[in-house]
Amino acid sequence: MTKVGVIGAGMTLFRRRLEETGKELCFEATKMALDSAGLTRGDVDMVVCGTAPDAFDGVAMKGEYLLDGSGGYRKPYTRVFTGGGTGVFSTIAGWWHVASGLADVVLVVNEEKMSSCQPHPQSVFAHIWDPILDRPLKPNLVWIFAMEMNRYMTVYGVKKEDIARVAVKNKRNAVGHPCAQLADPNITVDDVLNSEVMAWPVQRLDISPPSDGASAVVLASEDFIRKRRIKDRAWISGVGWCIDSTMWTDRDLVFPEYVARAAKHAYKMAKIDEPRRQIDFAEPYDPFDYKELHHLEGLLLADKGEAPILTREGVTERDGKMPVCPSGGLLGVGNPIAATMGMKIGELFWQLTGQAGKRQIPHEVHTGVSQAWGDLMQYGSVVVMRG
Amino acid sequence: MTFLDRTTDARKFRHWPGNVEADYIYTSGVAGERFFVALRDEGRMLASRCTACHLDYLPPRMFCEDCFAELTEYLDVPKTGRVAAITAAHIDRTGAQLSHPQVWAFVTFEGIRGGLVHRLLTPPDQARAGTAVRAKLKPRDARTGTIADIEGFEPVRSRF
Repeated sequence: MTKVGVIGAGMTLFRRRLEETGKELCFEATKMALDSAGLTRGDVDMVVCGTAPDAFDGVAMKGEYLLDGSGGYRKPYTRVFTGGGTGVFSTIAGWWHVASGLADVVLVVNEEKMSSCQPHPQSVFAHIWDPILDRPLKPNLVWIFAMEMNRYMTVYGVKKEDIARVAVKNKRNAVGHPCAQLADPNITVDDVLNSEVMAWPVQRLDISPPSDGASAVVLASEDFIRKRRIKDRAWISGVGWCIDSTMWTDRDLVFPEYVARAAKHAYKMAKIDEPRRQIDFAEPYDPFDYKELHHLEGLLLADKGEAPILTREGVTERDGKMPVCPSGGLLGVGNPIAATMGMKIGELFWQLTGQAGKRQIPHEVHTGVSQAWGDLMQYGSVVVMRG
Repeated sequence: MTFLDRTTDARKFRHWPGNVEADYIYTSGVAGERFFVALRDEGRMLASRCTACHLDYLPPRMFCEDCFAELTEYLDVPKTGRVAAITAAHIDRTGAQLSHPQVWAFVTFEGIRGGLVHRLLTPPDQARAGTAVRAKLKPRDARTGTIADIEGFEPVRSRF
């Protein structure tokens, strides 16, 4: 297999509502990624577009709609979609284009414009439920997360304060992110605990917001990187993805087995057998604060039930032993579903190449892992990258 | 067995009726803002220019899809265009018969990449590709900055 590196990344502002069309958002992110890699569209062999349900943007065949802004005009072009998991999965799809030897340079462009959907994207989320068993009860998506969070708290005796610390950490980390929607340098655990209850135990500040935004990364083969003498690159050394049962009621709500399987696949490829020792920092998917904890355990970076303790002890702070979501994550930067690639793959690239600016982890880091979660809340995608 | 029966009415089975409630507000974007404001306020149709590729895009785009430059220069589209292709719709999208056939055209302009699809304001028997046409705009007061500010395209009679 050809060795694949990330050589450029870009992302737009993440905001609740942006004027730009989805195509224009894609263009801005793509142009930024190409510029940062020192390439033009002419250097690109193939393009992968990642974007979540058509119903958010309200454009059927959204991948095809976005192709000009994504640089796909008259090129081999594919849209991939694994719900929220697209944030990391589209890079895996881009990786196999290069790893297989088919392409030297691949653009990966992710976009979401959730503000189009009125009055709120929640009305679209409501229709991912089983039409016969669930929908007649008029469920709200937050119910699932609330029950999963409650189960996690019940089994391990986790206090809400310790979960709220994740929201505080990430919203504070996001202060250093130029694209951030919900950065807050002064937020406290009490702010989270006193925020509006949505579906107990989920409160307003436990959740990331809906957002508009796009992100892009450029992948290239080792040969291309050598020939062009590209200095800023981070190698993709492991990839994995896995999906659990279609029935929400058939899953382990306490431990995300789908993440663990995806992680084990990626770690095996990356020759990682002691993840806690060999991985320096992580960007797990954090649309909810408890999900960061869940996912850290799934990524085998914490023992079962240990992630809240590590968080309380400061291990996951940017200057801690295992920084987690140094980007500010979805909780701080925003959650335009697929475009969260900017904080997952993009942040790994920026951290590993020393370009993270105010967000740069103060100690040296060589290996990072990013993970996204999606589909019907039972899908995990994992990428390991090395500097 | 279900597979052996021909069933045309799903309501014969135990079922649950549903609908996906979703309304949308679409922004016209950076290039769209320029296009629709000029159309509404000045009755002009703008294209965006890529100087590197010697291309003018209609409708205008914020970027060149080919060389990927950001486009910031706008220019007027020629007043007269030409019908590249037509169709006459006899039934609507629900399958209902229309009282009169509706004529639709794809209109292109010399030197401009792309074009517009819009109503052709002629009887069906006079609609043909190759006809020189101009946009017929709604009066200024009635224009709101949407594609419907153009009523349609009508033949340029002085040419015939």
